[in-house]
Amino acid sequence: MRAVAHPIPDHVPETLVGQFNLFTAPGMTPTPMGDPHAAIGMLLSGPPIFFAPGNTRNGEGTWVVVRAEDQRHVLQDGVTFSSNRNIFSSALGEDWPMIPLEIDPPAHGHWRSLLNPLLSPRRVMHLEPIVRQRAVDLIEGIKAKGTSCDVMQDFCFPFAVSIFLQFLGIGWERLHEFVDWANDLLHGTPAERTAAAHTIVAFLDDLRDLRRQEPTDDFMTFVTQAEIEGRPLTDLEVRGMAVLLFIAGLDTVAAAIGFDLYYLAQNIEQQNSLRAEPDRILLAAEEMLRAFPTVTPVRRATRDVEIHSVLIRAGDLIACPSMTANRDPKEFSDPDQIILDREDNRHVAFAYGPHRCLGSHLARREIVIGLEEWLARIPEFHIKSGSTPMTHGGFVFGVENLMLDWSAKEAN
Amino acid sequence: MRVKVDASKCQGHARCWTWAPNLFHLNDEGYLDPGDIDVPENEELNARRAVKGCPERALTLEE
Ligand code: HEM
Ligand code: SF4
Repeated sequence: MRAVAHPIPDHVPETLVGQFNLFTAPGMTPTPMGDPHAAIGMLLSGPPIFFAPGNTRNGEGTWVVVRAEDQRHVLQDGVTFSSNRNIFSSALGEDWPMIPLEIDPPAHGHWRSLLNPLLSPRRVMHLEPIVRQRAVDLIEGIKAKGTSCDVMQDFCFPFAVSIFLQFLGIGWERLHEFVDWANDLLHGTPAERTAAAHTIVAFLDDLRDLRRQEPTDDFMTFVTQAEIEGRPLTDLEVRGMAVLLFIAGLDTVAAAIGFDLYYLAQNIEQQNSLRAEPDRILLAAEEMLRAFPTVTPVRRATRDVEIHSVLIRAGDLIACPSMTANRDPKEFSDPDQIILDREDNRHVAFAYGPHRCLGSHLARREIVIGLEEWLARIPEFHIKSGSTPMTHGGFVFGVENLMLDWSAKEAN
Repeated sequence: MRVKVDASKCQGHARCWTWAPNLFHLNDEGYLDPGDIDVPENEELNARRAVKGCPERALTLEE
């Protein structure tokens, strides 16, 4: 059940009120064999900015900025366009920011200075063997059980969760418990979401307290020992970081690999060409990040400001869907074509500006390694006949129930 | 050929580094430090790709 849409604010001209909304528009609700990126891509033939009533979980409407260049302008200016919304904590009736996402410049920069080295391109190179091992273990487990699977539940989701556990220094044996929590938190009913949020916060708080007493060599130990502007972090700050890492890197990575496999299952020629020439996966993964991005950053205006002569009032929300920026014809030639060898590809799947995805270097490796190992170990796969994959929109687009089948090839 | 770097725009996407790791040195926080970059002839193609790959438009080419 969704919250009722708030009334449209008086300063929004009627002509600029759109029909679209990330949750309820055609193609955004759970859709059998859907193509939510094509559905939202329709916005590119409309005005560059419009108002979408009810475009958030709590029913508040947002402006939607459609074009890449305008989104860049909004997202590069974190002072005018604030991301301080405390969405996770306010849903629990509390008030603390997820860090660094809900901190604005200039304070935001101190947090990034602290965290960037942990997820730098070079650090990620060191994580590579363990990421690959997780992928191999999961895929070999699937192969041992048969010639079909629900790739979201059996691979994409547990793969993303297992990397997070590794990062937190938690054993692989707790994988299923965490997958259940994450599922409830991200896909559950409102009651399940709240219960899971409390469970996760309590778990991360306990882990923090444990690592303060018994330091090891992991993320949580690092943040409990770290200093920001010459002082140690508070308990709520450590919680704000840990919760964000939990949320930010699970659904997003799972959905990215999920949409890629959904595409490859329907485009056998492309699938087989990448399997035959795995060196091309690196560029192909970038193109699929462009074509199938999942996240819509949202900001709140801190002062009155105009975009394309439209007045945005201080306090208004502004949504910047990466899906429309990534198919903007001013930015990409043949934006609706998926060209796996595309070189000029400054897509925005990981956003622009100071909040550029902290995990982007890790996410890229997870996606590439996931695809490499899947294509190397699983023969030509199709969508299982009789099954119907479901796609959905929202703040993180996703694929559900993606049943893949490779029995025909296995029999040969 | 030179690449002009607007370090204030760099947000550490590391796309330049991916195309031309020998030209673009990221600091410990993952950003480019200020300072334009001279491109040797054998790196010109990768330098072009790097410039076109930067989502923030932090890089421009001077031929
Ligand atoms: C394909 C996978 C992923 C996608 C598409 C993605 C996308 C994004 C986007 C668009 C933002 C900007 C949000 C905003 O500005 O409002 C963001 C921020 C963030 N992401 Fe990711 N992400 C992915 C994976 C990850 C992973 C694996 C991690 C953790 C290891 C992660 C951690 C973060 C963090 C901490 C932020 C906040 C950065 C800040 O505010 O400075 N993400 N991500
Ligand atoms: S691609 Fe642009 S933003 Fe990214 S590291 Fe290079 S200069 Fe910085």
